[in-house]
Amino acid sequence: MSIVLDVRNLKVYYELGNGVVKAVDNVSFQLYKGEVLGIAGESGSGKSTLGQAIAGLIRPPGRIVGGQILFKGKNLLELSESEWRKIRGKEISVIFQDPNSYLNPVYTVGFQVAEAVEAHNGGSPKHYIHKAIELLKMVRIADAPRRAVNYPFQLSGGMKQRVLTSIAIANKPELIIADEPTSALDVTVQAEVVELLLELKKELGSSMIFITHDLPLLLEIADRIMVMYAGKIVELGSSHHIRNNPLHPYTRGLLESVRYERKAKLKSIPGSIPSLISPPPGCRFAPRCPFAYEKCRKIEPPLKQVDGRLVACHLFNEGGNDG
Amino acid sequence: MSLGKFIAKRAFQAFVTLIGALLVVFLIMRILPGDPARLIAGPEASWEDIENIRKMLGLDKPLYIQFIEYVKCVFKGDFGKSIKYGTPVINEILARLPYTVLLAVAAEAIAVALALPLGVYSALKPNSTLSRFISAISLFGASLPIFWLALIFIYIFSAKLKWLPSFGAGSWKHLILPSFTLALLLMGNLTRITRSSVMEAASMNHVTTAVAKGLDNGKVLRRHVLRVSMIPIVTIMGLQIGSLLGGAVITETVFAWPGIGSLLIDSIFYRDYPLAQGIILFIVLAFVIVNLAVDFIYGLIDPRVRSRTWS
Repeated sequence: MSIVLDVRNLKVYYELGNGVVKAVDNVSFQLYKGEVLGIAGESGSGKSTLGQAIAGLIRPPGRIVGGQILFKGKNLLELSESEWRKIRGKEISVIFQDPNSYLNPVYTVGFQVAEAVEAHNGGSPKHYIHKAIELLKMVRIADAPRRAVNYPFQLSGGMKQRVLTSIAIANKPELIIADEPTSALDVTVQAEVVELLLELKKELGSSMIFITHDLPLLLEIADRIMVMYAGKIVELGSSHHIRNNPLHPYTRGLLESVRYERKAKLKSIPGSIPSLISPPPGCRFAPRCPFAYEKCRKIEPPLKQVDGRLVACHLFNEGGNDG
Repeated sequence: MSLGKFIAKRAFQAFVTLIGALLVVFLIMRILPGDPARLIAGPEASWEDIENIRKMLGLDKPLYIQFIEYVKCVFKGDFGKSIKYGTPVINEILARLPYTVLLAVAAEAIAVALALPLGVYSALKPNSTLSRFISAISLFGASLPIFWLALIFIYIFSAKLKWLPSFGAGSWKHLILPSFTLALLLMGNLTRITRSSVMEAASMNHVTTAVAKGLDNGKVLRRHVLRVSMIPIVTIMGLQIGSLLGGAVITETVFAWPGIGSLLIDSIFYRDYPLAQGIILFIVLAFVIVNLAVDFIYGLIDPRVRSRTWS
């Protein structure tokens, strides 16, 4: 399989008044053509920042301080602003998480979808109203011609999320980054939206990065899963491996923290994500880890190949099976 | 709500506002010490002369009768005669109105022409040297006493350079000093509101969507930042125009500009009840109309407002 995206040692920092937040700290991974890569983590894990960096949407005080993002072999970090514009929305698209705030309240949704076509074809959004209606139909908005002249406040959350989706797929992008596309929606609508995204991805032959805090959802839809904690990758492997044998204590914690079937019990990981301004030395998860020992608090664990996946934990030895 | 219903509702609100304002002005004028009859009669007049004049003006009747009669006349379109000039109040106001409108429009136009580009620039480049300079200037403009600024302008441009006349009206040259003085004052607030409003709009999530589409910066700015940022700016512009139509009292006085503001001051000093009441009535009316226009513009800018009010 060919590699669409190759991220190497990426570092994205936020330079704030009281220090530097290392939101994404030395992250490397590859995305294969046609694949769904899930990125899981709590809020503050750096997963959204990573998605924004790949889409060229990091704004001050955020800054990409190092690394490479190779998209089809070309380093995106060396592009000029006008070269970036040709890629955004055309080759790499983002579906944002909050449909209520990511649409402009003062334009009709038809206009906003048409704008996505206009951006890469010239002319005025008026020329692309028919195309916009077609796109709204593609995301299965009923009565699309009538909906196109509605304003966002006249639509439901699920419908607005579909509009955002139609904006993202308007130019048949090769890479779709879905940044928590369902977390602002009702549970009943979530499944529909996820199913729609996967179908569209298949139809367009795109690759997809699906960012969410919902690890069990990723087990169902992703080919591979990358678990992030405090700006770093802690485990990266196939859904199969992560489902059947999660290794990193954090991955296990994430899986256990979801509702057990029938028992409806909620187990949470004690503590919270550490300050990314002055992260703890050694393993960043050590303060919350039930298995942490001396070495974990002193030496940062490197990513190692263990049992068919990558994991950053001192409990496991390179190439070995369980620790 | 239909547009017709919206206008009818607002017209009724305006009517209530007008009656209220009229009552307050009517009472305040009469509570103030001083007696127009005495002023007209002069220092030599006898007590009887003064009584006669008072009767002639209708000031001998109880207050509530005076008020009711005044309101009745107003509804017939009769605002009474000026005590000082002996001419109909409406004629006096109409004679001054063009000057006030001219000054108001010129000052607001200059202020907007300067404040919008400066405000937008300093919102987009908040840390540049020019932005810091703009912030300093607008704070300066908004906090200077206007009479002082007016005097400085007169000193420089009339007394020293002799480029422009220092007082009166008549040619476009007369308009320059008063309108720029006022504009500088208006500009300060307008620039700061524009700056904060554009900064807020630029940080909204839908702007990220627009950038992610691959739209160029100009379109992102025009469609997704500026239009969304307009509501607070239009609000301030409306308030400014409303108060300017009520007469820029200090500016008009310093430059001897024959507008509504200086007429109002005159009428109050002279206890010219009908004239002062007429002017205040006009000022309130101007405010009501400007506010109505502003509400209408809100609807044009934002479909959510439109659906709540008049579509």
